Amino acid sequence: MKRYLPMLVALGGMVGLTIWMTNIGQVGFFPLAAPSKLLREVMRHLQIVVYAAALAIGVGLPLGFVLTRRAFRFVSPILVGLTNMGQTLPTLAFIGIFAVVLGLGLQAAVIALAVYALLPIVRNTYAGIRSVDPATKEAARGMGMSTAQIVWKVELPLAMPVIMAGIRTSTVLNVGTAAVAGMIGAGGLGEIIMSGLAMRVTEMVLQGAAPTAGLAIALDAVLGTAEQWLTPRGMKPATEMVFRG
Amino acid sequence: MLFETWRYIGNNWAYIGRLTVEHLQIIAVANGSAVFFGVLIGIFVSGRGRERLAQLVMYLASIMITIPSLALYGFLMGILSALGLRSIGFLPVVIALTLYGLLPIIRNTYTAITEVDPAMIEAGRGMGMSELQILWKVKLPLAVPVIMAGLRQAVVMNIGIAAIGAYIGAGGLGQLIFRGIANWRPHLIVTGAIFVSLLSIAADLLLGRVEWLATPKGIRTRGRA
Amino acid sequence: MIKLEDVTKIYPDGTKAVDDVTLEIEKGEFCVLLGPSGCGKTTSLKMINRLISLSQGKIYVDGRDVYQMDVNQLRRSMGYAIQEIGLFPHMTVEQNVTTVPRLLGWSKARCRERTAELLDLVGLSPPETFMRRFPNELSGGQKQRVGVARCLGADPPILLMDEPFGAIDPITRERLQDEFLRIQDEIRKTIAFVTHDIHEAVKMGDTIALMRDGILVQHAPPAEMLAHPKDSFVEDFVGSDRALKALQLMRVRDVMDETPPKVRIDESLETARGRMQELGVNFLAVVNEDERFEGWVNRRVLRRSGEQVKDVMMRYTVTGRRDTPVNEALSLMLGSAIGNLGVVDRRDKLIGVVTFRSLSEAIQASYSEDEDPDEAHAERETAA
Repeated sequence: MKRYLPMLVALGGMVGLTIWMTNIGQVGFFPLAAPSKLLREVMRHLQIVVYAAALAIGVGLPLGFVLTRRAFRFVSPILVGLTNMGQTLPTLAFIGIFAVVLGLGLQAAVIALAVYALLPIVRNTYAGIRSVDPATKEAARGMGMSTAQIVWKVELPLAMPVIMAGIRTSTVLNVGTAAVAGMIGAGGLGEIIMSGLAMRVTEMVLQGAAPTAGLAIALDAVLGTAEQWLTPRGMKPATEMVFRG
Repeated sequence: MLFETWRYIGNNWAYIGRLTVEHLQIIAVANGSAVFFGVLIGIFVSGRGRERLAQLVMYLASIMITIPSLALYGFLMGILSALGLRSIGFLPVVIALTLYGLLPIIRNTYTAITEVDPAMIEAGRGMGMSELQILWKVKLPLAVPVIMAGLRQAVVMNIGIAAIGAYIGAGGLGQLIFRGIANWRPHLIVTGAIFVSLLSIAADLLLGRVEWLATPKGIRTRGRA
Repeated sequence: MIKLEDVTKIYPDGTKAVDDVTLEIEKGEFCVLLGPSGCGKTTSLKMINRLISLSQGKIYVDGRDVYQMDVNQLRRSMGYAIQEIGLFPHMTVEQNVTTVPRLLGWSKARCRERTAELLDLVGLSPPETFMRRFPNELSGGQKQRVGVARCLGADPPILLMDEPFGAIDPITRERLQDEFLRIQDEIRKTIAFVTHDIHEAVKMGDTIALMRDGILVQHAPPAEMLAHPKDSFVEDFVGSDRALKALQLMRVRDVMDETPPKVRIDESLETARGRMQELGVNFLAVVNEDERFEGWVNRRVLRRSGEQVKDVMMRYTVTGRRDTPVNEALSLMLGSAIGNLGVVDRRDKLIGVVTFRSLSEAIQASYSEDEDPDEAHAERETAA
């Protein structure tokens, strides 16, 4: 429990700040977001993040896995290079380009976020599976495991910490990117922040910023716990820095 | 539309150049101070008997980095206006980028210094090097490449966050994208996206090279990066 | 030169690592601190250059209390080598070797000259090629040599060495030990040397300071320690096969025949046969005009056709030195066709011969020494 204390303090602070700002209700001529509206935008924000994550995991995991198979090894250096380069690209550029191609709205935001999240997931899945000691696999084969059994019982469990680190990194990062996506009409907390910024109403900015930060902190903690659960005992969970957007 | 983008770039190269310079100014000031404070903090917390402090600092910095940039800009607006300072533009963006840049630099400095082989430190001490000489002649030269790797991460990350900073009036290449979205001018969006991406890639490559050059010859493990 | 006076080290948790140790190491003495792990030998060593502070007692270097001296000056005035070597990976071999000279502000030219000198001394030649290398371009043995060179950097009168050969393979270790003994012969430093390896202690040390549980049990020359173990711990630690240890302890110089029967390489076969007859031996050592050792002749090869000795001789270049341990000499002899070992000096000049006969006499003597330690001790003193 003690480990979670700083996280809970930070989270509590964010929730408190949100409630405080919402209770102000009105600043000068500008009405702040009502509780019901705020809740709706939180849900919307979460929706964008979860959809994008689901899409990214659904595509990224199999893709990363396939790249480790012998038949596809030849493309893997290219793809790994691409994902590394893709991660250096600014999120705003990503969102902008997807808005140009797909038009404004939720769809463009979700797809932009998914593609951006895809990169660390593919890379980490690939790296995680490649890092499984060949001796372990040989031992499994020697004991009579089928290829499918080796994949499910040896390779995936051992690669899980690294895969999960990729998922966590990209998802937490996307909480922030989803806020930026508010700008292309996808809704979410970004919209509140941006209207606050546009009208120079600090209270409104905070009304959007505090729950966004709270969501990021909470998701990071939840996925961090999941990462630990999914890490086979006797292995240390992998850690990776969150790249901000 | 691609043709339009091309024509826009051709007609406005001076403007784009100015935005790039603005962008780079923000990055330079922010990462300069991130390196300055980050290395100092990293050295300080790597001192003997400060393990708990180091953990706390690292934890705070890692919470810091999960906070979305727009949210951080919002918080800084609140704090700066409460202090009676300019709450939009260059200042909040530079502060935010400095804070984001701190984590990779503190962490890399700390790890590099604490992971210097204790045998080496004992050898240095045994030969009569003072603690300051050990820091300057042994620990820091060995830590420089690792610190540079942290700086590289920080710069690449911050180029993207600085682009978002254009929304609160800090200028830079993000301006093109925001203006393009607000007035629906796709060629502006594409131009902004291209240049900010090029800047990012160029910074990554350049700093990769600098990282290699900053690595003392005896510990370079691979060929040219 | 180094004097520990009632030195005690108590750690904050109450463990007494070193308990009232009094030890004096003379100028030019090679003193080995020996004992099982945890006996306080390393702690004692590190208290000399104040890497570990002492709780009670005094340590004097050259008559001066080490706590009256500036700590960094103190450390720079003595060489320090450790098992892990701790070479600086970002510095060249030259920069590593001249760490202390540079701290002392030596000029560039002098540093370079010193590096060349030291690399040559530790057998890394030509120095020019090794100087510019980095530690990761050296083998384990070469790194250890650089470590030794570094600790000799500013030519300190005192060396502190903490298992400097502990982490290398046995063959390289043997070689480095031999070379270090040769170096010590030249430079005559005062050395405190920690090891837990009894063989190393006996081979290297002028004296052994045996420790147990923080207490100095006995400080004596190896021969004396083997001959009169002070208590059962010493006896157990140094082992029960004392005669064999004594054999190991003896050097070639103790057993060799210093006036070996020899013949010059350009003398005739007739002369050689005549000399053999005359001296009543069945071999002759062959030397050249400069007295350098070339090989052997025995009765069998002298029956071959030829005019001069060099036409028929067995060229055999495996040789021993004055300070080669006798057990090593024995294995060299067992591996050679002739069954003798030529003993040469640094210029390959023949200075003696070890034969099975002289060896077995020595072994006999060591058994009797075992029975009469006092006499043996006296004998060793005269031999040395």
